Amino acid sequence: MLKTFLIGIKDLRLAFRDRAALILMLAAPFVLTLGLGLVTGRFSGNNNSGLSDIPVIIVNLDNDQMGDALTDVFTSEELADLMEPVLGSDPEAARQLIDEDQAAAVVIIPKGFTRSIIPQENNFATPSDPVKIEVYANPSRRTSAGIVKSIVDEFLSRVEEGRVSGSVSIFQLMLSGRITPGQAQAAGIAMTEQLQTNTTDSDLAIKLNSSTAAGEEVDFDILAYLAPGMALMFLMYTVSYGGRSILAEKTQGTLPRLLVSPTSSSQILGGKVFGIFLTGAAQMLILIGASSLFFQLKWGDPIGVIVLVLAAVFGATGWGMFITALARTPAQVASIGTAVMLIFGILGGSFISLDQMPPAIQTFSRITPNSWALDGFTTLGLGGTLTNLSTPIAALLAMGISLFLVSVALFGKKNLVQK
Amino acid sequence: MKKIFAIAWKDAIVRFASSSELLFFIILPLVFTFLLAGGTPSNDDDNRIHLVVVDQANTAISQNIITELEKSTAVRPELLSLKEAEDLFDSRRANVILVIPAGLDLHAIQNGTAQLDIRQQPNSLDATVAVRAVQTAIRSVSSAVNAANHAVKTAEENGGFKSEAERLAYFDDALKLAQTMQKDAPERVTVIEGSTPDQIEYDPRASSSAGQLITWVFIPLFGISALFAYERQQGTLRRILTTPTSKAAYLFGTISGQVVMALVQMSLLVMFGSLVMKLSWGREPLALFVILTSAAVAAGAIGTAMGTFIKTEGQASGLSIMAGMVMALMGGCWYPIELFPSFVQNIVKILPTTWAMQGLLDLVLRGGGLTEILPEAGVLLGFATIFFSIGVVRFRYE
Repeated sequence: MLKTFLIGIKDLRLAFRDRAALILMLAAPFVLTLGLGLVTGRFSGNNNSGLSDIPVIIVNLDNDQMGDALTDVFTSEELADLMEPVLGSDPEAARQLIDEDQAAAVVIIPKGFTRSIIPQENNFATPSDPVKIEVYANPSRRTSAGIVKSIVDEFLSRVEEGRVSGSVSIFQLMLSGRITPGQAQAAGIAMTEQLQTNTTDSDLAIKLNSSTAAGEEVDFDILAYLAPGMALMFLMYTVSYGGRSILAEKTQGTLPRLLVSPTSSSQILGGKVFGIFLTGAAQMLILIGASSLFFQLKWGDPIGVIVLVLAAVFGATGWGMFITALARTPAQVASIGTAVMLIFGILGGSFISLDQMPPAIQTFSRITPNSWALDGFTTLGLGGTLTNLSTPIAALLAMGISLFLVSVALFGKKNLVQK
Repeated sequence: MKKIFAIAWKDAIVRFASSSELLFFIILPLVFTFLLAGGTPSNDDDNRIHLVVVDQANTAISQNIITELEKSTAVRPELLSLKEAEDLFDSRRANVILVIPAGLDLHAIQNGTAQLDIRQQPNSLDATVAVRAVQTAIRSVSSAVNAANHAVKTAEENGGFKSEAERLAYFDDALKLAQTMQKDAPERVTVIEGSTPDQIEYDPRASSSAGQLITWVFIPLFGISALFAYERQQGTLRRILTTPTSKAAYLFGTISGQVVMALVQMSLLVMFGSLVMKLSWGREPLALFVILTSAAVAAGAIGTAMGTFIKTEGQASGLSIMAGMVMALMGGCWYPIELFPSFVQNIVKILPTTWAMQGLLDLVLRGGGLTEILPEAGVLLGFATIFFSIGVVRFRYE
C-alpha cells in the first residue's frame, strides 16, 4: 500500500514539475475561463443569463381608470424586480427610444381606452369601438418584449373577463325580468365598480394553488457552467498525460527497474493509477480554488463539490487508462489523448450547452465524464447539494470501474506491467 | 527557391510522419464544424421562459389551457411526467412547474372545485412571469364559465330561483351568452415591431464553418514554434548553419510550407462548408484565396515569433494550443462577436483571429467580395509583417 502511495506521489510531483504539462493542465483552462467570462459579460455586469429590470416605457394617454390601473400594474411592488418602468408622455419620443435600443418595449395606452371598455350610461347593448393599446416592441430584445406583452395580455384578460361577466349578468337579469331596463343603469354602475376591482384582484374560475420551494433564491452564475466545462476538458489532458507516463517509463527503462525491485505489478499499476487520480484531483481543486479566488465564483455546496470532483477524476482516470491500454507509444497516447480531450470537451458541453445539441448527440455524450460531471456542477451552481448528485456520481463511478477493468484486461494481454 | 521548396517538403514529411496528424488536420475540424453548426443557438430559437407542465387530467379543458400557454409570448410550455418535472424542479433545472391534476373538467369549473398547482423556486422572476402567463391562460379558458357563475350568483341576489332546473337553465343561457360575447370580443392590443437595427446577423452554419476553419488552421500554424524547438533540440538547426542557407530563406521555407499545408486544409474545410452545409463560399474565389492566405501568413508569422521565445517542444505545443484556443474564442470563432460586451468587441480587434473571422463572414454571410475583404486582409498582412520581423531578428539556430 505504501509503495502504491509513493509511486502515486512521485507521479504527482513529476506532473507538477513539468512546465509544458502545466500549460495545458492549469494555464489553458484558467485563461479560457477568463476569456469566456469576458465574452459573456460576466466580468462587466452585462451577463444576459437572467431576466430582470426590463426597461419599459409606459405612455398613459388614457388618464382614466383602466389606463391608470395598467400603469399601476407595471409600477407595482410585485413587478419591481422584473420591470424598470419609465413613465412617458410623448408616444413618438418613446418609439424613438426603442428604435435606438434604449428599452425593451413601449406600452402606449391611447386616449379613450377606458371609455371603450366601460359601457356608457344606458348603453350596455352597444359596445364602443375598441381602442387598442399599442405595444411597440424592440426586435432585438424579443424575450423581454414578449414578457411586457404577456403582462399587458394578463391585464386585458382580467378586464375582458370583468366586462363579459358584468354584461352577461345584467343582460340575464333584464331578460329574466329581475330588473327593468331602467334599473340596468344602477346595475351598470355596480358593474363598473366590479370591473375596477377586477383589474386589481380577481377570483379565477380555476383556483391556482401556488407553492414556493424551500431555500434561498439562487442567481445562476454563467461562469458556474463555463469554468467547470473548461476544467473538465483539460482534466482529460491530465489523465492521458498520466497514462503516457506508464509507456514513457517503459521506453525510458525506469519501469523494468521498478519491476526488479520487490514491488508487484499490481502495486506499480495501482501506483500509476493513483498518481493519475491525484494529479487530476489536484488540478481540479487548484482550478476551483483559483476561480473562487480570482473570479468570486461560487461553486456551491463544498462537500458536494469535493465528492463530485473525486468522482469526475475517477471517471476520467478510467478513460486515461483505457487510452493508454490501447496505444503503443507515448506519442500515440498524447495524440489520442488530445483528440479525446477536444471531442469530449465539445460532446460534454464545454463549448455549448448540451441542451442545444440534437437528442442523439445528447445521448452519445453520456459516454463522457465531462457530461455527467458538468451536470453535477450545474446542479451545485443552482443551489443543489450532495443529495442531488446521486445520478452523476453513480454514473462517473460506474464509468471509472468499467473502464479500469477493461484496461487491466488489455494491459494483461500486452504484458505491459509484467516481471 | 529550391532550398525553400526542400525545407517546406521536409516539414510536410515530418508533420505527417504519424497518421494521427490526420485527426487534427481534417477529422476534428469537421467534427467540430458539424457539431457547433447544429448546436449553436440562432436568433430564431425560442427564448421564452421554460414552463414545465404536467397534465394529469388529459381533458379538453387541460388541453385548452396548454394550447393557450403555447400562444403566450412569455412562456414556452413543455409537457413532462410528474416524476420528470419533479426531478427537474428538485435539481433546480426548472424554475416553475404547473401541475394540472386529474379531474379538471367543465363540471369541476362549474362546481368551483377546479384547481391547478403551480410550484415555483424562491424569488424567481421567471416564475413570477410564468404565474401571470398561467393566469392569463386560465382566464381565457374559464372566463365564460366564470361569467355564467357570476350571472347565477347575481340572479340569486335579485330574487333567486324557484327550482334547481330554473337555476341550471339560467346558467346555460348565461354561459351561451358569455361564450358569444367572448367570441366577439374585440382585440384590445396591437404589437408593432420597432425598427431597431437587429445587430446580430448570425447564421450558425456560416459562423461555425468560418470559425472552426480559423481555429484549426491557426493552432497548427502557431505550432511552427514547436517545429523550431524540435529541430533545435534535435540539433538539425545547427546543421543548417553548415549549409549556405540564410536565416530568411530557412524561415521563409518553413512558413511557406506550413502556409501551403494550411491552404490545403482550408480548401478541404471550404469544400465541406460548400457541399455539406450549403454555404456559398465560392462566390468570389479570388477574394476567398486572398483572405485565407493572409490569415495563414499572419498565423504562420506569429508561430515563427513564438518559436524564438520558447525553448522546448512540449512548451511550444501546449502554448500553441492555448494561444490558438484563446484567440479563437476571443476573435469570435466560437461564439458570434456581436454577442460580446461592446468594450470586449473593441479590445479583440488586436487579435488576428478577429480580422480573419470578419473577413470570412464578409464573404460567406454578408455576400461581400474582394473590395470588402481588403481591409481585413491588409490588417492580417500587417500582423504578418510585424511578427515575421520579430522572428527574423530574434531567430537563433542554437
